[in-house]
Order: sequence, then C-alpha cells, then structure tokens
Amino acid sequence: MKVTPENVRDFILQGLACEHIQVDGDGRHFEAVIVSSEFEGKGMLQRHKRVYQVLGDRMEKIHALSMKTLTPEQWAGNQ
Amino acid sequence: MDEKQIALENIKQTVTANPVVLYMKGTPQFPQCGFSGRAAQVLKSCGVTKYVAVNVLEDQGAYDYLKFYADFPTFPQCYINGELIGGSDIMLGMYEQGELQKLIKHATAPQ
Repeated sequence: MKVTPENVRDFILQGLACEHIQVDGDGRHFEAVIVSSEFEGKGMLQRHKRVYQVLGDRMEKIHALSMKTLTPEQWAGNQ
Repeated sequence: MDEKQIALENIKQTVTANPVVLYMKGTPQFPQCGFSGRAAQVLKSCGVTKYVAVNVLEDQGAYDYLKFYADFPTFPQCYINGELIGGSDIMLGMYEQGELQKLIKHATAPQ
C-alpha cells in the first residue's frame, strides 16, 4: 500500500506533540516541516532521531523523508 | 560472530579509521539517490577532497545493518571522527551555518 503524506503526518502526530506539521510528498519522497516544543534544547541529529523513533518500522515503507525540525520559537522566527 | 556483528564491526572500523566517511547510495560521481547526491555535494562544497565514500548498494552488510550502528534508519549518513553527524538535511543545515566546514577542517587537520 502506498503511503500518503497524510499517513506520514498522522504517524508522526501519534507519537509527537506538534505545534505545526506539514508533510508533502509523492509516495516515495516526503518533505516535512515539524514544529514541536519537544525539540527545545536538542540538536538537529537528536530531533531527527526523535522523529525516526516515532515512525519506527514504518520508515521501511517511507523511502525518503526530508525534514525541517523546528522549535515553536524558531518557527515563529521563520514566518 | 553473526552477520550483524560482523557488519557492525566493519562499520566501526571504517568510521574510526577515517576522519570523514559518507555512507551513500551510489558514488559521489554517480549517486543513485537524490539525497546521497546532495550529501556528496555538501562535502564537496566544504572542500573535502579526501573522504571515504561507502556505496551501500555494493556493501550488503552496511546496507542491512548501518541503521543499527547509530540508531539512524536512512541513507546517506555522514560520520566525522567516528561520530554520526546525520543525513543530508542535517549536513546541509550545518553547512549553511558554517558548522560542518569547521568540524571537517578540525577532523582533517594534520596532527
């Protein structure tokens, strides 16, 4: 079964409280903007690992996921 | 040792014996995935001329087990002095902030 951007969005939301999340993709490659206060005090590697941890085995079906992981403060500064 | 232990031991040897290692799909000249190509491009932009690129499409052990080494499930993966830096997003982000260049310069400086 093909994974949709909505699926990826829901998978992430099941395990991570997000202030904002947007996922785009074609079923093979996905791009996500993920804003969570859980990222505060964490480096980029730890943030990405946190998202991968939430996705778990479902990463097998998600060929590639490009991520922007931001804290709410960084997100506000990005607008 | 079983297959997994051998693969993890090989990875450990590779990333600790070389200052900069990129596990990727394909080669820097002929990347087989956009993200791997981008990672190689970032290293090029950092001015790294000598680094070890492992083509995971030709290294079954790395292909199957790299995700367990540093608990990171995707390719490419960049290691500096044995430490996982991250995938192409993180590499690009650190490059844009000037951090990756510094790390690499430090790692590849003559002793």
